[in-house]
Amino acid sequence: MSWNAINWYGQRITGAALVLLLIAHFWVEHFASDQLLRGELTYEAIRARIASPLWQGIDIAFLIVALYHGLGGLRNIVIDHGRIGPGAARVVTALLIAAGALWAWWGIEAFQNLR
Amino acid sequence: MSSYGVRVARNQGGIGRGYQTFSVELEDRMTVLDALFAVQRDHDPSFTFRCACRVGMCGTCAVSINGIPRLACRTRASSLGAPEIVVAPLPNLPVLKDVAVSMEPFFEQWKRVTPGFRPKHPESKELAIVPASSQYMRMTGGKRDCITCGACFGACGVKATSGEYLGPAAINRALLRLADPRDEAVAPRMKALDSERAGVWRCHTQFNCTAVCPKGISLTDSIVWLKRAMLRRAPFEKLP
Amino acid sequence: MIRLTGMYAHTLQRVTGLGLLLYLFLHVRTIHKLSEGPQAFDEALAFFRHPLFKLGEIALLAAVILHALNGIRITLLDLGHAHGRQASLFWRLTVGAGAVLFLAGAIPMFLFAILKVR
Repeated sequence: MSWNAINWYGQRITGAALVLLLIAHFWVEHFASDQLLRGELTYEAIRARIASPLWQGIDIAFLIVALYHGLGGLRNIVIDHGRIGPGAARVVTALLIAAGALWAWWGIEAFQNLR
Repeated sequence: MSSYGVRVARNQGGIGRGYQTFSVELEDRMTVLDALFAVQRDHDPSFTFRCACRVGMCGTCAVSINGIPRLACRTRASSLGAPEIVVAPLPNLPVLKDVAVSMEPFFEQWKRVTPGFRPKHPESKELAIVPASSQYMRMTGGKRDCITCGACFGACGVKATSGEYLGPAAINRALLRLADPRDEAVAPRMKALDSERAGVWRCHTQFNCTAVCPKGISLTDSIVWLKRAMLRRAPFEKLP
Repeated sequence: MIRLTGMYAHTLQRVTGLGLLLYLFLHVRTIHKLSEGPQAFDEALAFFRHPLFKLGEIALLAAVILHALNGIRITLLDLGHAHGRQASLFWRLTVGAGAVLFLAGAIPMFLFAILKVR
């Protein structure tokens, strides 16, 4: 089994996972409490749910899966369109992984000061 | 007899010279190839195009007809549903003159999959027969008719931007050789197919190749089969 | 006549994919305001109550639905199914089912945003 095969498989698996995660995320954000149902998206309404480590974990997992799938897709576009050699392709992959890590950290940081 | 406007691309040594339109008279069942002959015979003897068998067997006359790569000899003018026939060279290949292209890039990719037969037992004196009822024959039925016309290569959306991609015909050929129980060259072909920038992973199931193949080969199916085969450790020891 | 439906589907997948990636960037940027306290966060959300953004959310819904359904189509094709029917799969699943799901979501969204109706 090659890395390319694993990544190709990974795009499909993460895609399927994202469908489920998105439905769960959307339900929790817009339908899970009376306040949210009324469309009152405020700090208080959201904090009530997101203070729980379980929901933080699910959100963070969602973000990481989305970043794998999205940046993986972007990588495909770059490899298809860029006239790049093998060395440059490795650089692009490394940059995307770094960008993904920073992006994920940015999202995780959002939960750090919840009162 | 019907009148058609035939708009052809002109090109001299790789430099585009725009399009020219000629009026031709075609009988009811005449093909685009007949139209090209009419242009050359009645209007401009310097107009250049390729053909050989005229019956869809050799693959020489593949050109872009109204935007779609097709065999000129197998495309009836009346089937296009338009009074104007636009003939251009196959995309993704260097133009030599007018609508004749060089097939070198196509065969360069073709050679990268070790397209020839590599026998398991070269010293054997016995005929290596693959019975018609065998799994190989059933699995590759409908995929063995490639005439290397280049239509799939011209139609492929990935080939348009990626010079390195093997292309559907080469990958299909690799599948046939890999699935052949008498052929022993598995590793070099799998390596070529697994290439990140040139291999099967560049296919994005656009299906252009399958749509244009004049032999009706399900090329995307071949490529998709190989992608799944890559997930297994020894995909061709036992055909699934 | 030869139809290049698969090519259009591929282009659609890429365009919506890039759009969703851009949205993800903006979304994480906004959610990050949670760490700056209630005032900063509520201000940021109030900014997005403008009708233009509400229309943007409806466009986002369309992008998500198209990308997800076409992604399911691609996965089915990658598993070796429905190759002879890939074009009709696009029209029925991606576009057809997509339109149904889109309307089911977009109409309430539109009514709620414009008319404040629940």
